[in-house]
Amino acid sequence: MLLVAVIIVYPIVYTGWMSLQEWFASSLTRPRFIGLANYGKIVFGDPRFRKAVVRTLYFTLVAVAAETLLGVAMALLFNREFWGRGLLRTLAILPMVATPTAIALVFVMMYHPTLGVANYLVTSVGLSPWRWTYSSSTALYALALVDVWQWTPLIMLIALAGLASLPREPYEAAHLDGASTWQAFWHITLPLLRPTLVVAILFRAIDALKTFDIIFVMTQGGPANASETINLLLFNQAFSYFNMGYAASMAVALFAVVMGSSLLLIKVRRSTAW
Amino acid sequence: MNARRLSRRTFLQAVAAGVAAGPFVWTPARAQGFTWKRFQGKELFLLLTKHPFVEVLEKHIPEFESLSGMKVKWETLPEIQARQKMTVEMTANSGGIDAFFTSLHVEKKRFWKAGWYHPLNKFLADASLTSPEFDWNDFTPGARAGVTQPDGSISALAAFVDANVVFYRKDLFAAKGVTPPKTLADLEPLVQKLHAPPGTYGIVLRGLKNANATQYPSILFPMGGTYLKDGKAVLDSKEQVAALDLYTRLLRQYGPPGVVNFNWYECSASFMQGQVAMYMDGVNFASQFEDAAKSKVVGKVGYAVLPSGPGGHFSPIYITGMAVSSQSGNKDAAYLFAQWATNKASMVRELMAGVGVGRSSTWDSAEVKAKPKMPADWYQAYQASLKIGRQGLPEIVGVTEYRDIIGVAIQKGIEGAPAAQVLAQAQKDFQDLLNRTEG
Repeated sequence: MLLVAVIIVYPIVYTGWMSLQEWFASSLTRPRFIGLANYGKIVFGDPRFRKAVVRTLYFTLVAVAAETLLGVAMALLFNREFWGRGLLRTLAILPMVATPTAIALVFVMMYHPTLGVANYLVTSVGLSPWRWTYSSSTALYALALVDVWQWTPLIMLIALAGLASLPREPYEAAHLDGASTWQAFWHITLPLLRPTLVVAILFRAIDALKTFDIIFVMTQGGPANASETINLLLFNQAFSYFNMGYAASMAVALFAVVMGSSLLLIKVRRSTAW
Repeated sequence: MNARRLSRRTFLQAVAAGVAAGPFVWTPARAQGFTWKRFQGKELFLLLTKHPFVEVLEKHIPEFESLSGMKVKWETLPEIQARQKMTVEMTANSGGIDAFFTSLHVEKKRFWKAGWYHPLNKFLADASLTSPEFDWNDFTPGARAGVTQPDGSISALAAFVDANVVFYRKDLFAAKGVTPPKTLADLEPLVQKLHAPPGTYGIVLRGLKNANATQYPSILFPMGGTYLKDGKAVLDSKEQVAALDLYTRLLRQYGPPGVVNFNWYECSASFMQGQVAMYMDGVNFASQFEDAAKSKVVGKVGYAVLPSGPGGHFSPIYITGMAVSSQSGNKDAAYLFAQWATNKASMVRELMAGVGVGRSSTWDSAEVKAKPKMPADWYQAYQASLKIGRQGLPEIVGVTEYRDIIGVAIQKGIEGAPAAQVLAQAQKDFQDLLNRTEG
């Protein structure tokens, strides 16, 4: 209990306390209490933070939506019996096991506009080369792609578990009534799978909202801040600008965003439970 | 350790008794003179940064130990981590660090304001602490200015001095019958001539935000631009607009694809792959160009001083140094180490290894000339650049934040936004930063 208090509660309370101060870590001046001024600034006075919030939500939306679609499709595929299924399923899960930083370094090389393999593949099917993380219009998508590559298997795994527990009777009834495969999927599988999927999406969304490693390694939030999410910005404030109080208030705001989105998703899940 | 302590005790007793045993032992009369052994038996702790200069230095620390009779312990961390450790240790007032390697172009004003540098002026003037061979005036004016604060206090002894120069492909230049740019006006027509994509791109410069801020002054200074005027931001001056416009236009029109996110690593990779005709960056990246294991352009690279412009002729320089911590209990002993690390012999050794230093005499040293590690024009370009050296970044507390501000403006410029517009925003952000952190 005491241990929990020391290693979990204390940092949270201290972060909250710091967020009410103006404190530059390397200056001789003591932290100065400024009340809610930091929060006022992030909500009203800092366009860079506002853009970071929108970007964080957008990145999460794009990545998790793609992961859900692909994950469910893969789960349906692996739910069938076919030769080599076990091996393929294991291979499909591998990306999840890798370290994000290592993956990010590999993707940096693959995305290199003139030397990378990604553009080699793109041009070999007749498209013109892309800029990937090397342009502010595509950087966020290129990063989302890395996230999709790594975390689609998680959604697949959870969906697969959900599929395995579905009852057989509704399908037999539907089959007798002459329903097509698509109809069976849309009207039976999906509704039955929904509670499971909401949990999977919740896991992924929380993780995606606080993505840091791949962005930090691959773009450091660039080009021109085009991939700077809340986490990147607060890291910069704290450890590049040593602006501790302000960074703490951003950390609290990020917590609020994650918490808010999670509550929303849980509410969706409740409404579908029966 | 035991033997050392014993010998120190005997030595002290000898001095106390006033015994003069021979020419190699101190006599009271000579106690005023300089000796490396003065702090024999003491122990120092250094915080060092991963850096080519430090790599050479570390190998020779045992020599300092036998020279001084002191014991030296040290920790070497990557630059960012070292700065974080420094901040934590100093904020906590731990006193654990005696001397540290400091990147003055980032830390100078911040650490000075925090009172972490022990001023070295008195030590330098003290003949019993500074060897007569040290010669402070042997450091180039740019190097001396780089370690001196607005109040005249000297915060560190300059170690490594980086200067920006032009790297160019001699073979491609010869094929087109052109020479390296003498003035900014030559730059664009020249690059245009050399530009032949996708085989060869005309030029590469850093595009990545923050990193690009150290290269931008290569264009900005000769254009006549500055960062501050009477303590106020001047990022929106017409010289700034002209400079940013040129810098970004060169990259947009003649740079390799994706250059907007290129740090020095990507820049030098494309140069070493032979994809680029010309590259301007810190002179010390050159050692890898001449390394056949990494580079396809060995022997084909020429080195030249940056072009001049309407505002004059400059080379942005970046200085690192050995500083003494204000919280150390052994400041004078730590100063002895800093002095040794930057004395003539050590600096010659650095230059022999291809690491550039801000000491005039080393460049003419017979040892360096006898065994040059780099091509002759590299030494010439480097030395000439040091003579026109000017601190590359504004000397303010919030250097990193400034670098992000101008860095984003440059990236937006490369992607096509008008220079005047991005600089108007940068000016506002920079002035806001100055209001918050200066004064």
